[in-house]
Amino acid sequence: MNALKWWWGILLAFALLGVSRTFLPLPFMNEVVIFSIYAMGCNFLIGRVGYISFGQPAYLAFGAYACAFYLFYFGTNPLVGIMVGVLGGLVVSLVIGPLFVRLRSDYFAMVNLALAVIVFYLTQKVLVDITKGDNGLWFMTRITSTPGLDLTIPGQFFIFALIVALAVCAFYKYLDDSIYGACCLATKINENKLQFLGYDNFSIRLLAFVIANTTTALAGAMYAVYLGFVSPEMASPSRAADPVIVTLLGGVGTLFGPIVGAIAYTGMKDVISKLIGNWELFIGFLLVFIMLVADQGIWGTLAPLLEKLLWRRKATLPVATKR
Amino acid sequence: MAQESYSAGCYEAMISTQLLISGVIFGLSIGSIYFLLAIGLSLCFGLMRIISLDQLLYYSLGAYITYSINLASGSMWLGVLAGTAFAGLASFAVERLIFRRIYSREPTFSMITSFGILIGGIGIIKYFWGVVPRPVEVPTLLQVTIFGTEVPVYRLIVVAIAAVVYVGIWLFLHRTIVGKAIRAAIEDVEHVEGLGINVSRLFTITFIIAGALSGLAGGLHAPLIMVDPSMGLETLAFVFMVVIIGGLGSIKGTLISALIIGQVVSLGSIIYAPMAQMAPFVIMLLVLLIKPTGLYGSTVLKR
Repeated sequence: MNALKWWWGILLAFALLGVSRTFLPLPFMNEVVIFSIYAMGCNFLIGRVGYISFGQPAYLAFGAYACAFYLFYFGTNPLVGIMVGVLGGLVVSLVIGPLFVRLRSDYFAMVNLALAVIVFYLTQKVLVDITKGDNGLWFMTRITSTPGLDLTIPGQFFIFALIVALAVCAFYKYLDDSIYGACCLATKINENKLQFLGYDNFSIRLLAFVIANTTTALAGAMYAVYLGFVSPEMASPSRAADPVIVTLLGGVGTLFGPIVGAIAYTGMKDVISKLIGNWELFIGFLLVFIMLVADQGIWGTLAPLLEKLLWRRKATLPVATKR
Repeated sequence: MAQESYSAGCYEAMISTQLLISGVIFGLSIGSIYFLLAIGLSLCFGLMRIISLDQLLYYSLGAYITYSINLASGSMWLGVLAGTAFAGLASFAVERLIFRRIYSREPTFSMITSFGILIGGIGIIKYFWGVVPRPVEVPTLLQVTIFGTEVPVYRLIVVAIAAVVYVGIWLFLHRTIVGKAIRAAIEDVEHVEGLGINVSRLFTITFIIAGALSGLAGGLHAPLIMVDPSMGLETLAFVFMVVIIGGLGSIKGTLISALIIGQVVSLGSIIYAPMAQMAPFVIMLLVLLIKPTGLYGSTVLKR
């Protein structure tokens, strides 16, 4: 019973996502689910550890390209490809993590953005021989169907993506509730105090960095399998703000923020880019607007209201929306 | 940038010393542009503790105004002047409307906001000028001979302007009352405020100077590259690396690291073109490995 209490918020959220599949177009839903995995890593970094990273596209591209290299040059199994992508992200973040985590948060943000631009150049110009530059790697036809859930069919891919997103979300909920999650929050708020308590700031931050960026790489690998191709556009610096915007839009540090943000962002992108061609103009000013006026985000504003509503209606109902 | 160095080097004879000299001059000019851009970022961080990514927007605006005025009047120098002035005006408006409200927040907050301004501004540029890259003609095609190597005069002029700006900024900060107040405020804002100096006006002045210098950099860079809407995003990484290597808030560090990055980009592209883009990043990582706050950055930040 306790386990159910702990779980039901997440299960409900994903059941809602699953149900909305019946009346919303499938590409939109796939985009939303992958994007929310992408934003979850970013959300953990910003909300829990206090690191704002504009370099997320770089880690996305690491995951996507690791997966793409496997599917393009070596194997055909998409599941193995995703695993290779995650492994690639893990290795990369383990290598550069110790370097970046030592930095002050403002330097951290700048170094990461520089990394994103460098990865963009790397995939577009320097490693043209293996990445095929701007043309990208196309391996749609090479992916073989897998037993059980067939990832080559978008409808079944959605179920797979939903399960993965559910697992990632549950994992972050577990982290949030654990002592480690509390340590992360403490390192954001007062690192000196945490040090006096006998914890090591560096290793806590390093672990958070690795976890968040491995999640991002997972999202990258999922993108690669879903789209069937990768191109340097993925690491483009003009998209560097996307995960940060989604996180802020949804509500920083909240569990469901990334999902709500991903739905809102993808929805707006679909609607607005049809109405006006100039998407950048809109997204830039949206970002400024969120920062100036509503830095709680959608879920951050909605959650207390929902909580109030639920409490009034039924006092014994466990509140899943407490964060 | 690879093509740029190629065109700088291609009409030279294939003698390595000549290639080297033209490479060094090219590096100096590109370093000067980076310096003009980075000094704005550095000053803003030093005084207001904001990371002002929108400097790259004023850079693009400066370049586009230069292009338009050059097309209308035929004088590129008039264009640069107008671009500088317009960039200063734009930065004034942005400071009044947006940054005024977020000075008290932490630096990363301003970084997100200014990134929004940058992206939105690129949208505006696309609206007015379209997405097609525009060429700007070089004002003088004169060449001078240095050690038997022909060097375009325009690049020397760019270096000279940057040197003048450096001296000007130094004199401004060390010899005028306003400059001294800015330097004092970099050390301790509250004390300066306590002395009865209008700090918010200092902030505005600094921001306009930074924006105008970015516009100047854009105008001067325009003839050397194609002017296109995403030019700010392309230069962003290099300017960042200059600021990080030099240390946030230090003008001397910015100058030195701009010169280093300029030479690395230009000499690197002579040796192996793709390396030119990667090398500054490696240098940045090495510097950060040894000193996490950059060459001249201060370790402790008050505020």
